[in-house]
Amino acid sequence: MRRIESKLDLASEEFRLNRAHNCGLAEKLKERHRATRRERPARDLERLSRQNKMFVRDRIELLLDPGTPFLELSTLAANTEYGGEVPGAGIVSGIGIVNGREIIIHADDASVKGGAWYPLSVKKIVRTLDIAIENRLPVVHLCDSAGGFLPLQADIFADRYLAGRIFRNQSILSKLGVPQVAIVLGHCTAGGAYVPALSEYNVIVRGTGAIFLGGPPLVKAATGEDVTVDELGGADVHTRISGTADYPATNEEQAIAIARELVGQTPRPTKLDVEQIAPEPPYYDPDELYGVIPRDIKVQFDVREVIARLVDRSRFHEYQPAYGTTLICGFAHIWGFKVGILGNNGVLFNDSSLKGAHFMQLCNQSRVPMIFLQNITGYMVGRDYEHRGITKDGAKMIMAVSGSEVPKITVICNGSFGAGNYGMAGRAFDPRFLFMWPQSQISVMGAEQAANVLADIKIRQLSREGRSLSVAEVATIREPILEEYRRQSSAYYSTSQLWDDGILDPPDTRNALAMAISVALNAPIDRPHYGVFRM
Amino acid sequence: MRGAGEPRIGGDLMRHTFIIADAEYEAWLSRRGDAYVLHVAEEAIPVALAPTGNGEQVLSVGSETSHVLVATDGDMVHVHIEGSTFTIRYVDPVQRYGSHAAGGAEDIAEAPMPGVVIAVHVDQGQRVSPGDTLMVIESMKLETAIKAWREGAVAVVHVGVGQTFQRGAPLLTLAPQTGP
Repeated sequence: MRRIESKLDLASEEFRLNRAHNCGLAEKLKERHRATRRERPARDLERLSRQNKMFVRDRIELLLDPGTPFLELSTLAANTEYGGEVPGAGIVSGIGIVNGREIIIHADDASVKGGAWYPLSVKKIVRTLDIAIENRLPVVHLCDSAGGFLPLQADIFADRYLAGRIFRNQSILSKLGVPQVAIVLGHCTAGGAYVPALSEYNVIVRGTGAIFLGGPPLVKAATGEDVTVDELGGADVHTRISGTADYPATNEEQAIAIARELVGQTPRPTKLDVEQIAPEPPYYDPDELYGVIPRDIKVQFDVREVIARLVDRSRFHEYQPAYGTTLICGFAHIWGFKVGILGNNGVLFNDSSLKGAHFMQLCNQSRVPMIFLQNITGYMVGRDYEHRGITKDGAKMIMAVSGSEVPKITVICNGSFGAGNYGMAGRAFDPRFLFMWPQSQISVMGAEQAANVLADIKIRQLSREGRSLSVAEVATIREPILEEYRRQSSAYYSTSQLWDDGILDPPDTRNALAMAISVALNAPIDRPHYGVFRM
Repeated sequence: MRGAGEPRIGGDLMRHTFIIADAEYEAWLSRRGDAYVLHVAEEAIPVALAPTGNGEQVLSVGSETSHVLVATDGDMVHVHIEGSTFTIRYVDPVQRYGSHAAGGAEDIAEAPMPGVVIAVHVDQGQRVSPGDTLMVIESMKLETAIKAWREGAVAVVHVGVGQTFQRGAPLLTLAPQTGP
């Protein structure tokens, strides 16, 4: 393993312009993160303080061990939906340290529509619990939700991955022996009542916390019974009478202290025994990534310049350096963890696909987690390549990526188009985590190409009706398509829909990867085995 | 070099190489029980390094001992010993045994994939330095810069802007290098 020799010219105009452009995008990202985390209408914050409730961010701060990192996931979920009025989809999700244990948090944000669950809130909670299952991560639920957002009930209730999946995932976690601790900080009504009930341990705050299948108004309507919140499902009812809750707390601070104690009593997981060395920072400054990423997505860059700014001492053992050179493969360490890296350096050809499939098998054989750095426009098209079996070679990559047992973590560094997304461990291929960089784009094909195809179809339709179009008319057809396509292929749209686990400021990638690898090592892995590779 | 049939395992060729004041030194550290032995040339000398607690260390080489201060800076290690400072650089064996002529010998840039020329940045006869962008091609929605792989003068530009080409087609030729 030796240091990558960077060919980046830090004094060049190109570097300077890239840097200015990408720093601007990073600033915009930070501002979006800040507003999503902290900016709320005054009336919502006033309501919380009237109810004697803490803001969700303050609750989390109190829960986590002081000075430890918190890897927040999908911060900008729902940023392009619901008129932008449901920041973070009303849920905070992230990985942190509580009493020395790595845990994942699901927290309802009662400052957003009373913590009501929108369709994307449900998707975010299900994803949080999927992460917990895949990585055997204990969960802390901070429950404070008004219940499902009824106007959109059809999109939150019945289907396989909707609300029921939250409770199914909780049950599976329990079956796997992964503990959950719930803190009831507000009302847990209807489905929400099952979150504390399905947790191994739960704590309920006297006065503000309540658990019931139907709240007082529903009870009144159904049976005519007049009952107060406390009589129906308050802290004392559940900790003294029903046994639905375990520990009463006099206030939020005490509830969080009890929860911390409970997490501290859970067994420490045995981590997968993978090679680890003393961590060292990269030789090349990760901040230089701003100058590596081009301003135009069409412009090619050497992924080794990215690797050099992610890995310990910038040291990389490149596998098959002269073969299939549009896919860079090799071994490195990130914060001391040995990893296998696959990064795109151009279109995937037959040889680069074979190299990728082979390298994934090497990583599985030697139990090395894999990092995929996506910048891919797709597999090569054309007669020559089809004759050489580009489709079956791509299929080999997909077979290898799907059958891999070692943890996969994907970073979409720039473009993620077409089947390249599949072969490079896109969302559908169960990477343990998938992050995006702010300028990256993701779609079945490039925006320009898609707009041209769609505009062509319209133009031909019109010409069949005997109408010909001027250049200006073609542009008026093409522009809106292009605009909509661009919007839907942006990183912000992707993260809004939870196609990823969040947008990273590129220099933060190294730290995020280290936390992701660390938690991924909680889950056992099987011996390598695969389906049939079409040879 | 060892003779045939000699019962030693492991030759001397893969000893670590260090550069100190422009001179190359080959050395190897091996374990003997709880202690270390330094192999330099034909000698095998017992060595030890022990911290003193005040940032210094005590280095023993054979029967001699000295106080040393060691500071690491990237690939360099600075050692202060007996009033002098030495800078030691480790030489990677794969690089050391690699050919210094790797790359740069070819005269022709061939198309890495089929595509179209977007821009040509150089004229015939123009001198270029490694890393200069010679032309930009586009293929599969991706723009790739064809960069000078060595010093030289442009002999032929085979394709012009807008022209398409197949994989392996010559794009640009540099004048052959004359002499070493």
